[in-house]
Amino acid sequence: MKKALLLSFVLMLALITQAWAQNKTVTGRVTDLTTGEAMPGVTVRLQGTTTAAPTDASGNYSISVPASEGKLVFSFIGYINKEVAIGNQSTLNVALASDTQNLNEVVVVAYGTADPATFTGSVAQIGAEKLSQRPVTNVTSAIAGQAAGVQVSGGSGQPGAGPDIRIRGFSSVNYANDPLYVVDGVPYTAGLSNLNTEDIASISILKDAASTALYGSRATNGVVMITTKRGKKNQVQVNVRALQGVSSRAVPEYDRVNAQEYYPLMWEAYRNSLVNATTTREQASQRATNDIKGLLGYNPFNVPDNQIVRTDGTLNPEAQLLWGDDLDWEKALTRDGSRSDYTVSFNGGTEKSDYYVSLGYLKEKGYLIKSDFERFSGRMNVNTNLTNWFKAGVNVNYTLTNSNQASTGSATGFVNPFFFSRGIGPIYPVYQHDPATGAYVLDANGERIYDLGGSSPTMTRPVYPGRHIVAETEFNNNLYRRNVLGGRTYGEITFLKDFKFTGNFAVDITNYEEQTYENTIVGDGAPAGRAGRTLYNLTSYTANQLLNYNKTLAGVHTVDFLLGHENYNRSFDNLDGSKSGEIIADNTELQNFGTTNSFNTYHQDHRIESYFGRANYTFNDKYTVSGSYRRDGSSRFYKDVRWGSFWSVGASWRLDKETFFTMPTWVDMVKLRSSYGQVGNENIGDYYAWQALYTLGRNNGPEAGFSQESLGNQGLIWEKNNSYDAGVEFALFRNRLSGSVEYFNRESEDLLFEVQLPLSSGVASRIENIGSMYNRGLEIRLAGDIIKTSAFTWNLDVNWTTYKNEITKLPYDELVSGTKKLKKGRSLQDFWLREYYGVDPDNGDALYRAITYNESNSKIIGSDTVTSNANNARYHYAGSAIPKFSGGVTNTFTYKGFTLSALLTYSVGGQFYDSQYATLMNHGTYGGAMHEDMLNRWQNPGDITNVPRLQVGNTANLAAASDRWLTDASYLNFRSVSLGYNLPAALSTRLKLRNVNIFATGENLALITKRKGMNVAQTFSGTTSAVYVPARVLSLGMNLSL
Amino acid sequence: MKKTIYSVFLASALVFSSCEKDYLETAPTNAVTAGDVLSSTKNAMAALNGIHRLLYSQFNSSQNQGGEGSMKIMMDALGEDWVQTLGTSWWASEHNWTSHRNATSTSSYNHAWYYFYYRIIANANVLINGLDAATGPAAEKQMVIGEALIYRAWCHFQLVQAFGERYDAGKTNDQLGVPLMLTATTEGQPRATVEKVYEQINKDLDDGITMLTGLEARPAKSHFNAAVAKGIKARVALAMQNWSVAATAAQEAIQQSGATLMSRTQYTSGFNSIDNPEWIWGSMMQADQTNYFYSFFAYMSANYSSTAIRQNPKKINSVLYDQVPATDIRKELWDPTGASIPAPPNGVKVKYGQKKFLVANTSLSIGDVPHMRLAELYLILAEAEARQGMSAAAATHLATLLSARNPSYVESTSTGQDLVDEILIQRRVELWGEGFRFLDLKRTNSPLDRTGANHIPQWAWALTGGNFTVAAGAKEWQFLFPQAEINVNKAIVQNPL
Repeated sequence: MKKALLLSFVLMLALITQAWAQNKTVTGRVTDLTTGEAMPGVTVRLQGTTTAAPTDASGNYSISVPASEGKLVFSFIGYINKEVAIGNQSTLNVALASDTQNLNEVVVVAYGTADPATFTGSVAQIGAEKLSQRPVTNVTSAIAGQAAGVQVSGGSGQPGAGPDIRIRGFSSVNYANDPLYVVDGVPYTAGLSNLNTEDIASISILKDAASTALYGSRATNGVVMITTKRGKKNQVQVNVRALQGVSSRAVPEYDRVNAQEYYPLMWEAYRNSLVNATTTREQASQRATNDIKGLLGYNPFNVPDNQIVRTDGTLNPEAQLLWGDDLDWEKALTRDGSRSDYTVSFNGGTEKSDYYVSLGYLKEKGYLIKSDFERFSGRMNVNTNLTNWFKAGVNVNYTLTNSNQASTGSATGFVNPFFFSRGIGPIYPVYQHDPATGAYVLDANGERIYDLGGSSPTMTRPVYPGRHIVAETEFNNNLYRRNVLGGRTYGEITFLKDFKFTGNFAVDITNYEEQTYENTIVGDGAPAGRAGRTLYNLTSYTANQLLNYNKTLAGVHTVDFLLGHENYNRSFDNLDGSKSGEIIADNTELQNFGTTNSFNTYHQDHRIESYFGRANYTFNDKYTVSGSYRRDGSSRFYKDVRWGSFWSVGASWRLDKETFFTMPTWVDMVKLRSSYGQVGNENIGDYYAWQALYTLGRNNGPEAGFSQESLGNQGLIWEKNNSYDAGVEFALFRNRLSGSVEYFNRESEDLLFEVQLPLSSGVASRIENIGSMYNRGLEIRLAGDIIKTSAFTWNLDVNWTTYKNEITKLPYDELVSGTKKLKKGRSLQDFWLREYYGVDPDNGDALYRAITYNESNSKIIGSDTVTSNANNARYHYAGSAIPKFSGGVTNTFTYKGFTLSALLTYSVGGQFYDSQYATLMNHGTYGGAMHEDMLNRWQNPGDITNVPRLQVGNTANLAAASDRWLTDASYLNFRSVSLGYNLPAALSTRLKLRNVNIFATGENLALITKRKGMNVAQTFSGTTSAVYVPARVLSLGMNLSL
Repeated sequence: MKKTIYSVFLASALVFSSCEKDYLETAPTNAVTAGDVLSSTKNAMAALNGIHRLLYSQFNSSQNQGGEGSMKIMMDALGEDWVQTLGTSWWASEHNWTSHRNATSTSSYNHAWYYFYYRIIANANVLINGLDAATGPAAEKQMVIGEALIYRAWCHFQLVQAFGERYDAGKTNDQLGVPLMLTATTEGQPRATVEKVYEQINKDLDDGITMLTGLEARPAKSHFNAAVAKGIKARVALAMQNWSVAATAAQEAIQQSGATLMSRTQYTSGFNSIDNPEWIWGSMMQADQTNYFYSFFAYMSANYSSTAIRQNPKKINSVLYDQVPATDIRKELWDPTGASIPAPPNGVKVKYGQKKFLVANTSLSIGDVPHMRLAELYLILAEAEARQGMSAAAATHLATLLSARNPSYVESTSTGQDLVDEILIQRRVELWGEGFRFLDLKRTNSPLDRTGANHIPQWAWALTGGNFTVAAGAKEWQFLFPQAEINVNKAIVQNPL
């Protein structure tokens, strides 16, 4: 401090001295653009001179300059330099923007970067600042809500898993709709959970043909380009990022009935099934009272088996639960999850070289038992200018992951914790109990014993008999270990002034080992025990050579050419085996098992060779035209048809730079752009689909064997997508408000379908390129500072998307597929379901609109012919899973050092087929759980309700799949909220730190939907299943730089 | 100069980096190209073994489509002698006679049946028609083609029995059968008449028998030899009510098979080993060819720990059981009290539960599956003789079988229909669970009758709830053609719905 005073004094003297020379003094204050905080230590220099002054602790400066001459340059490490003309002002207050915002100055596009001011394509960019406070393990989680035209699914709570992404609708009916992920310029094969989000500098989402066509046959679904960080020249910086959090279940379980409600409901369902011509309701009630325990197997109450439910259908008022504390299976499966995420990174450089080195550690303990994810990640990115014409760099990363995975692979598997715990009735205990006293049965060590559902002759569980999700989850293993090594290297030669030749080579190597074990006590592995291993090595290489030419002629003509060649080679080796017959306990090595069940290996190759080029021409920063072309040859197709051409053309026009008319002064920038092009989708699942093949491994005893598998199709080619894009981008009111409005029309053709062959030909289908579909839509993005004062800023960033999807050509008239029916003129996501009409007040029947009048099951209500027989129910198109519109809203408030940021994603309209609810509304299974809505069921003639009669054995009619299970899919998701505080510079300086940011953050804080429990954003097709429900993560974090 | 160096460097970089011509030629390592299959008899033999393997491979990713073993369960599920404990899971709709009458579903059993047998035919046709240029020993080629012909015959036979109205020797059988697939084609074929289908079956059988006759011993009981082919010919003749051919073929098959009837000890050892002397044709499963929960034994054994067995062990019709004499070893295949069932842990033990089928190793769902046993040939022979009025011969042949089962058996003195009825009862007992019941009911034009036995009413209804009988000759005896076939094969005429 003393030093600063002294310095100021000296400077003052200097200023005074200089003042004599017809100079004047300029003063002012320098603040941080984002936080509004004063910035000490900023260098204020008169351009082109050595005259300079620093700012003081309050950010104030004073500098003596020649009268009305020159510019002041404000500079500070980590911030963008700012130049201000002095003119005749004597006070100049300046706000500096930090370098992270610098990213928006160029956008990362295919094989290079582009100037957003003239770029003709549609691209959305997400910077590192959007990631730094997000406790996300998989970077795709951070994309939700950030970009217009990008739909992100709800994701999974499975540690390490990320959500799926759809860019501008669906381009394929049967094959991949996932975008191509490109990491540091190369299609990434290793899985995005291998990337440490802290290493990511930016994410570019390329949406239209002009931006994606250079990825040719892999571009139909858009491209997500992830660029990792690199060092900054002439500085050294160490960053530490630490996050520590807790996780829990984000979407709650459905509201289900409790034991006291359940018994009478099942009594009634059984009673109603007994009533017929010869059995009166009274007789049936008596029998139900006597029998119901036998059917449900367990009597959790302290009353005799035949007195649980009285003959009037109500629970015996004396009934008290014997093991009321032991009925919560969900609780037995969950725990307090946690998440720790630490990264240390060094970045910096000299005049000629830069480096970024990081080491990260992540440990995620899922809220579900036996699910976790541990990741070590390291990255090193070094670039150097060896000479003035040669530049080279290496970017290497390594990731090691260890993860226990929850068994949610099969949505209806008995080992699926969500399926089992959701479906089991509320009367079955987790542990064994004495049927008389309800006391826990203990083993020799005094431990409680899992109740497998048949522990005593008087207690047999009719639902999931002999299975036990807690025991199986605990005793089984399902884990993997994965090593990923990735490398990118390049050499770049600049020659003849405007030419640049770059050779890139990249490799991604994944080694994966999965171990499974099924125990000897309970479940599919019992009684023998089973163990399996899957090992694979996935290696992908990409090598390319790029030639760039860039020149500005006469100051107004900017031309930019790119020519390139690329090889892609993916090679996959798999080994898997399983054995059964465990010999000694607690050893899951394969030699501890007696019998080999399977032992197989295979190898796959996938190769693409490509030639491509791009040309851009800009006149006077005003008019830009661009074109790109790529020719891909893919090993997936037969040699005569494997080469395909993909291309795009685009143009942009900066209206604000136009000279023949003048924009209002509040318009800072307006750009019109449009593009059209054709891209392809060669990701058709199978690598050898064109070939007629016999499958190996159909050995018959000891004799070798193979059998016919496919007929092949030598004419098979990639799916195509013709993509049109038109948009306007703008910045208004001195850049206070910016945004874009875009229209897109993506038309898919040559869509691949499994064309059915006669079953009698022995091969059920063959894939052929027949089918077309389009997605047309509009997307809007608006971002701006609603309030902006020196102390307080409110920034709002909103995006909104709507689109329409329609099938225009199919190989068949129509195809019913699950809850949908594909048909020309309809959408891929249109529900095709029985039309539910309501409940018949006379008898509680579920009524559906009828196909025909049929005396035995139909009636006419008003002008409607309805039926109680599901087979006579009429199907209709019942709405679409595609929302009317959806998007994201980010509100950011900054006040002094505080920043509060909240990201909401929303979806309005569209339908959701809630099959999980439908299952809970099914009363056909003794022992199956029920939704609370069952309490509203029809009971007596005259009852007006929407829940039909309960009747075991008639659920095919009473609870048939129909539009009764469709629910409005609208939702509002509090995806991410964070509150951060930047320590005042004065304080952090005193701590010898450059910057200190502490924050609290939450992911998936709340999901508001029509029905509790509904995991509405699980898929894009409006369906759900028993998946690992997303996690809510609350974290405290800190970013330190020194 | 510098310019030239750069240009040369650049040009070479672009040229050399483009790859050799075959860079984009890739082939799978876990498959063989169709062309290679027909290049040698060795490969053709592997393709034939692939067909044998299809008999115990999973189809349609379905847990109840595990090859021929599942087809057998289907045939018994449609009958009255196979009784369920629970009717809510696998085989429920098959047992209720709705699955094979559901045209639209791709997981119902008409679809399963249709695709399974035609898939084998397609594999067989490749071998029957394509081995002209194959290198290798003539005898090997003959064996491959001969066995492929038997497969084609047997599959068409299985198909026509399910989809066509039964063959009636007393009339012209110009009712529609199934498409005859004699070449590898994806062109949909129309339904041939039942008469035509049987004609082709017999032709293929005769051609196959000719080719297989005189060859060296088959490599394993999973292969066909002339004796098995004659056994199949006997089955076909029985279905055609061609009693004399049935008797002759059965007689020859018995003599040439080299099989002997099981001892009483062997009889209760679980019906899971192809080494059993009575087995003539069967699928043999190794541990590393396990078919998990779609195995025959995952449903039909008493002691494997699958949900189906723990929850829904299979039982015998109590009426049928009661007709088995106490001294008959077969009485021990079921337990009317349930107490002795070797049920898996947490499994229920039920009255009249079966213990005929047992897995040898409870850690594996596998077991060899019998497709033809000597006992069946004796039953065919006896029935064919009895129906021709050769009562004495029939009774003797029946006694040969039954004396092995029951030391106290006294040769029947019945004649005519009484004797036939006796033989048919013995067929039900002897072949319980081996996949004969539905086809026997259909070929004998008998009704289905599940009344009066230990069937649990809510699970045992047929066609509609509360109904336990299906009249002989009703339209429901015909499987419906799968809609998947009709959609693309416009030549198919659907059976009456």
